[in-house]
Amino acid sequence: MQVSNGKVEERFEGGGIVLFSAVRQALDAHQVLRDAGYEARMVAPPPQLHKGCDLAVEIKLVEKPAIERLLGQKGVDYLSLGPLKAGTSQLLEIVTVTDFGRWLMVKAGNMKLTFAKDSGEIMNTSGGGCPDIPYLHAEMVGRSLTEAPRPRQIGFTLCALMLEQALLEGLRLYEGGSQR
Amino acid sequence: MMLIAGTIPIKDLPLVAGRVKREGDTLVISGYRLPCAQGTGAMISAAQATTDYLKLAPPQVVVAGDIGEGGGSRQIYQYLIQNVARLSPKVLALHYCLPDMALARRLCRAVRECHPRPLLIADAGSMYAAKAAGLAREFDVFTPDATELAFLADGEATHPAYINRHLFCADITRVPRLIVAAYRQRSAARLLLVKGATDYIARHGEILATVAEPDVPELEAIGGTGDTITGLLSAFVACGLELHEAAIIAARVNRTAGKLARVTVASGVKQVISQFPAVFKEYLCRWSGVCSIKGGSYHE
Repeated sequence: MQVSNGKVEERFEGGGIVLFSAVRQALDAHQVLRDAGYEARMVAPPPQLHKGCDLAVEIKLVEKPAIERLLGQKGVDYLSLGPLKAGTSQLLEIVTVTDFGRWLMVKAGNMKLTFAKDSGEIMNTSGGGCPDIPYLHAEMVGRSLTEAPRPRQIGFTLCALMLEQALLEGLRLYEGGSQR
Repeated sequence: MMLIAGTIPIKDLPLVAGRVKREGDTLVISGYRLPCAQGTGAMISAAQATTDYLKLAPPQVVVAGDIGEGGGSRQIYQYLIQNVARLSPKVLALHYCLPDMALARRLCRAVRECHPRPLLIADAGSMYAAKAAGLAREFDVFTPDATELAFLADGEATHPAYINRHLFCADITRVPRLIVAAYRQRSAARLLLVKGATDYIARHGEILATVAEPDVPELEAIGGTGDTITGLLSAFVACGLELHEAAIIAARVNRTAGKLARVTVASGVKQVISQFPAVFKEYLCRWSGVCSIKGGSYHE
């Protein structure tokens, strides 16, 4: 919290950081993000994360997929996008599968996706807590794994990224892959 | 008064505040018709079904459209920060929102200035923000699932996508240890209702109760069935039940409704919600020990 002109201002706390190889890229990324309405601020990279140039951009970690997509569309290169806290674990890449007879439920992180073994139809999605999850539920349920919109492409948050992992594993299993 | 706040996955829906009523499968709030679907809609529907059965005033709600871009979430936070003292709810239940640590902090400051202070319940993104911002101990109830409990137990994580893999791999038998770890990290609310194959109700690190029957494993796959538990719990707390009693009964009602609906993994949450009145009629008196309603409140 900061005090400015007698007013209390809340400092931006994003929890995520984008690292760049050149200061110009960091400046461009900051501008692109601000123009698109994202909260972002320029910061010095913490020593334990330091690689590339001396300027980084703090972002909301939960918005990782949307920000990666935007920077890609605008042609802004970056080295990495991840948690600001150095001790934070890697993005979860573990999936588990539950067999419900005619259906399989694939769980990735806090997200679950259930599909029909014979048709590949997505019967349900559950879990998660970000606002794009009910939206993705409405967009994906009733569609086949092969034709459903991809959470990574139409979602915005880390929950969507987890659902993407569940979808990819579901697709792999539907196409004949064995359970890991 | 119970106040429920959360986003609805309709891009252009403005901020809407008001009492909710149900018309068929639709929720109506200040003239806006919203789906009773996964997320805040399911939570509101469960709370509304409870107050409707008990002939109490329906929940007051604050919703805004948000498909993940965060605008509606910020509108809700801002509205609550500015109005929570005036609204003075007995229970404030926060649900799907883009986690925003700074706004969560401001909301908690606004709640601290309410007299009396509302009971604070958080699920979904609102719970993520509260934990990430170090505000968990200001909340009365969190309702995580097992993965979200691992997130609470991981001192460094700011989102369940970044939890320690050893915590994530914890099977259901390790939930008690995760509960202790979450309290040790000061990342748990006063009461936890951990939703799963077995539901755990814990206070200050101590497990008060578990609920495992009826066993309806299909519920885990159905989007919205965790939201309904939080909606039921919020309504029972607003009716005057103790937090842990409300949590136990909410877990039982949800499971029993799933059983009565004979759900499969292809079912929708509406099928579960539609069974709540039947479950209340058959079991609520027996489970809660309070069996009649006079003048808008429970009586034994």
